[in-house]
Parts: sequence; structure tokens; C-alpha cells
Amino acid sequence: MRNILLFVTLILFLASTWTALTKGRIEGPSANPDSPVRNIIYTHVPSSICSLACFTVLLVTAIGYLATGNESWDHVASATAEVGTVFATVLNATGSIFSRAEWGIWWTPSPRLITAAVLWFLYVVYLILRSSLPGSKQRRARICAVFAIIAFLDVPMVLYTARFMEDIHKASFSFDNWWQRGPFIMGMVSTMLLAAMLIWIKTDVLKIKSRLEAE
Amino acid sequence: MNDIVINVKSVSKAFDTRNVLRDIAIDIGTGQAVLVCGINGAGKTTLLRIIAGLLQPDIGSVKLCGYNIRKDPEKAKSKFGMISHKSMVYPELTVLENLSFFATLYGVKDSDAYITKLLQDIGLFSYRYDTAGILSRGLLQRLAIARALVHRPVLLLADEPFTGLDAKACHHLINVLNEFTKNGGTIVMTTHDIDIGIRCCNRVVVLDKSNLIFDARTSDIDTAKFLKDYIGYARSAT
Amino acid sequence: MRYFWFSLKAIFIKDIVTELRAKQVLPTMIVLGMLIVWVLRMASEAVLQSEAVIGPVALWIAFLFAGLLAQERSFATEQQQDCIYALLLAPVDEGTIYLAKLFVNIVLLSIFEIIIIPVVIVAFRLNINNWPALIGVLLLGNIAISSVGTLFSAIVQLSRARGALLSILVLVILMPMMIPATFALLFVFGAIPQEMAGTGALAFIGTLGSAVGYMITFDAVFVVACWLLFGFAIKE
Repeated sequence: MRNILLFVTLILFLASTWTALTKGRIEGPSANPDSPVRNIIYTHVPSSICSLACFTVLLVTAIGYLATGNESWDHVASATAEVGTVFATVLNATGSIFSRAEWGIWWTPSPRLITAAVLWFLYVVYLILRSSLPGSKQRRARICAVFAIIAFLDVPMVLYTARFMEDIHKASFSFDNWWQRGPFIMGMVSTMLLAAMLIWIKTDVLKIKSRLEAE
Repeated sequence: MNDIVINVKSVSKAFDTRNVLRDIAIDIGTGQAVLVCGINGAGKTTLLRIIAGLLQPDIGSVKLCGYNIRKDPEKAKSKFGMISHKSMVYPELTVLENLSFFATLYGVKDSDAYITKLLQDIGLFSYRYDTAGILSRGLLQRLAIARALVHRPVLLLADEPFTGLDAKACHHLINVLNEFTKNGGTIVMTTHDIDIGIRCCNRVVVLDKSNLIFDARTSDIDTAKFLKDYIGYARSAT
Repeated sequence: MRYFWFSLKAIFIKDIVTELRAKQVLPTMIVLGMLIVWVLRMASEAVLQSEAVIGPVALWIAFLFAGLLAQERSFATEQQQDCIYALLLAPVDEGTIYLAKLFVNIVLLSIFEIIIIPVVIVAFRLNINNWPALIGVLLLGNIAISSVGTLFSAIVQLSRARGALLSILVLVILMPMMIPATFALLFVFGAIPQEMAGTGALAFIGTLGSAVGYMITFDAVFVVACWLLFGFAIKE
């Protein structure tokens, strides 16, 4: 089942990438309408959605672990944090590249860019905390769950700050035809599937590792 | 007279992948002084901490005087005091301030007169205005005992209380523990010094490889044979 | 309820007395704060007429790092002689321990504030238009730093890189608050004319009121969340 899903994910991912690069030129008010960098939207937006979704999964697993003490919640949390970090890195990197091409600056303190940066920092600090806490696995899982909940509360605070800031980052892309819309939807679906598959695989690796250590 | 003070039911605990306690069940009644023996890593301190509510068991439950330590922590915690090889007192506070602080935390009413009497009984009255940080190890352990008894508990948990004490301090502690049980108190103690432990206790249990393997009254055992068998058992186990 | 107040008061007084007798953290906080302010003052020499803007920034940075020192201390003292176990053995709710430690940290940071504000005013030649607003904004910042720091201080106690770990945990959570907090101070010190507030002429579209409103919301959310989660953080 998982192998089939993995295969489907990879096919979708490749198809959406190919279509985006060859057919899916996105138009929109821009200083440089011919810039191919605007196709970075096909990676940037799905990464943004994925990294926020991973953060929500992290919250759910944190609450799950604190409520039940079941190690499986912690395995999923660990896997989700790693995958979320990857997507947050892609989000910030693609955002920077697009920002430089579109507006001539690598970064500016606009609300969405601040949110992206804070999200990345929250993930990275979570991973550092997970790797540097001494004590038993149960204690580490509990502390990471506490941090995940506090970190999740930080995200709406960032969005609330954003209300008070000017936003250079306008949703300025639009789709003219299905050659553009199609790869975007495919990219969204395949990225979400990819994230889910990576979390699934990593969780299984952690479960096997835990079982081996027990033996 | 023989009410159950501690009820440990099917308690199991593992740290990471290591089973420390496996299906431990024991009832301890009023006036019993129980010595918990075992080699290093047998789970003695873990068991004591689970009884004290400092650790949660993976499976099982603990009740102190009928109160579940997890569901009714405040009622259960008011029933016992604990001492260990660390004094658990604040070095910057005086002897009197330490005891007043803990008396307040335990909700002890009219604590001043009782604290004065406690200090006199323990032999710390003349040191009451000294900061705990300057006390010797023996005096610090007396302060620890006073802290553990300030709220008049019915149960005393003692985790390696004789560690680092000289002969005089050991003798004083033994007297305090014997006096406590004579007045109807219950003790659960761990110590590597089996001779001293048997002098203070009327019941001995042995933990080995996370299981409870021996449980008898000290009056029913031949101490020399028990020591030989216990040490002999430990040798063959390793 | 009476018991809750007695326990809270007892732990609060115990911590304050312990710190006043040990004299470990408060002097270090004050000296660190002053050093940060003067280093930033030296650094700002290169940019003319920037003191009114850099001054409030220097104040927050000094606040943050001095606050981290205070919070690291709050559970470090409990590690001596395993005193934390004595607290956990007592029939005291963990939330009460958190609130007491929170109030202690707020008091220590307030003492630090009283000393550092004149230093910042002198170093950066600032004028204060609105003293009540200044005290209010700093108090809200104080509560934010202390609420998050007290919880994380309990978390990092057993770690060897305690100070560094505490720093990154606290700073990452406080990041969003720094924008409205800094703008609030800029308004209070008159670095930004009030008439420009809310006009869109600034990067910060809000007013002093909206910045303060944000800080109140931040404090309320994190004090409650940290209080509720403290029990999970402190257990072994």
C-alpha cells in the first residue's frame, strides 16, 4: 500500500514539476513579466501549506502524548518536526529567491516573511531541544510536547503582529488557463502526499529503532 | 492498629528500554519499618520515588492511607515525609526559616511552638538561627529529618539516609527512626548498610532484576544467613 | 484558596530572601544590562541622530538578556541539595510553584528596570513623554519574558548547556512580540511623532494602543499556557 502511494506521489510530483516548468508560466503584475523565477510559486506555496500543516500535526501529537503517554505520538512528532523543518527551509529559500527577483531584496520584515522565518526558527529550536535534552525518553518526549504547544501558540501571535505591518508580499499571481492551474493543484497534492509519506516512513523507522533497543 | 499505610498494586516501571520494576505488589501497615534491599540498579530508589509520587509508574497504582498518590496527590502527600542522602533544604535560609517554610507548605497550623519542640528533640535548637549552608553533614541530616517530620506525618520514606554520616550521626538517626516507629509511625527505607537497616527495621524485602524476591519479618530470619544468602544470591546473579 | 495564597506567598518570599542573601544574579543582571546599553551606544556612534531609535532597542535587548539570567537562576537554586524534590513532595500544586516563581522573576526584572532606565535615558539622551505608558509597556514586556522564561527554566535544568538552551527557547517564542513592543517604546520616547501613528507612513501601521493591546494579549495567552503546562515540564 505504502509503496503504491509512494509511486503515485513521485509520479505526481514529477508531472507537476515538468508541466510547471514547460507550460505553466504564471502571469501577474510584475516588473519583469518574463521572469521564469515566478514559477517558483509552484514550490513556494505548497511548501508554505505543508510547513503549517506539519506544525498543526506537531500540536496534535503533543497533546496526544501528554494525554496518553503513548510513545507512538512521540515518534510521529519527531518525524513531523524533521519533515516540517525541510519544508520551512524550502519555504524561506524559495521566498528569498522570489523576493530578490521580484522586488530586488533578499528579505524584508513583511508579515508573511516574518511568519516564515519564525516558523523555521521554531522548528529548528524544537529539533535542537529534542537532541540536547538529557534524561529518559519519556521525559524528553514530554518536554518536547510542552514546547510544541507553546510554539504553536506563537504562530497566531505572529499572524496577529502581521495585521500591524505593511505587506510587500501581495498574492499577485493568477491563473489564466489549466496549464497553469493544473500543475499548481498537482504540485499541492503531491507535496502534501510527499510530506505524509516522509512522516510515515520516518515514524516507522523510529518505531523499529525503539523495538530493537527494547530487545 | 494494623491499617494499611502503603498499598502498592502491580507497579511496573521502565526507563527507556530497561525494566526497572516489574509487577511489584506490597502492603505496608502501621508501625512497620521496612528495609528495601537490593544491589545497585535493583529499583529501590525508583520504588521509593514512585511511592512518594515523584515518578509515575507505567502500570499500577500506589495508595497512601487510602489516598491514590496520582488522583489525590495533596491528601496523599500530607501523610508522609521523605529524607534522602541530600538534605533538600535551602542553604541560604536559616534552620528556623527552612522549617517555617515547609510548615507553611504543608499547612501546619500554630507551627512555631511545634517547630521549637522539634528542634529541641532533634538537637538543633542552638543552631536555629544558623544558615543551613554552614551546618555539618550530620547536622544537615538532622535538619532534613526535622523538615520531613514538621507536618507530623504517619509515614517516613528514607532513601539512603545514612550516606556520608559519621558513627555519632548514624546513631542519632537510628534513635530517631526507632522512636518514630515506637510512636506508631511507618518507615520504608533503603540502605546499602544492611546491619544498620536491620537494626532499624522489623521487615525486610529484597528487589532483584526488577522483581520482589524476598519479603519477611526481621525477627523470622537468621541475620547472618540472610546476609550470606543475600550477598551469595547477589554474587550468583552477577 | 487561603492555602493557595499561603503557599504562593511562602515560595515567593523564600525565593526573594534566597536571592537577596546569595546576591548572585541581581548584580550580574545589572552589570550585563549596563554593558549591553553602552556597547550599543558605542556602536550607534557611527550613525548620526539615531539615538532615539536605537535607545528603545537597546533597552529591550538589555531587558531580554538580563531576564534570561534571572530565569536561569529561578530553578538553578532548586537544584542545590535537591530542593526541587522537597517542593514537589509537598502538597502544593505545580501551578502554584510556577506562579510564585513567575512573580519572583517579575520583581527581579522590575528592580533591574528601575536601575537601567536612567542609564538608557542618559546614554541615548532620550525624553520621556509619557511615564505611565513607559512603566506599563515595560511591565508587559517583563511579564512576557518572565512567563515564558520561568517555564523553560524548569525544562532546561538538567541540561549541561542550560544557559544557551534557555536563550534559544525564550528568544524564539518572544520574537513576534518584539515588533509591537519596540514600536510602543518608540512612541513613548517620542522617537515617532504620535500623529504618524496608524497612518501607514510607518512600517508599523498600529498605534500605541494597538501595540499595548497586542502585548496584553501575548501576556495573557502565554501566562495561562505556561501555568497549565508547567506540571508536565517539572516532573521527572
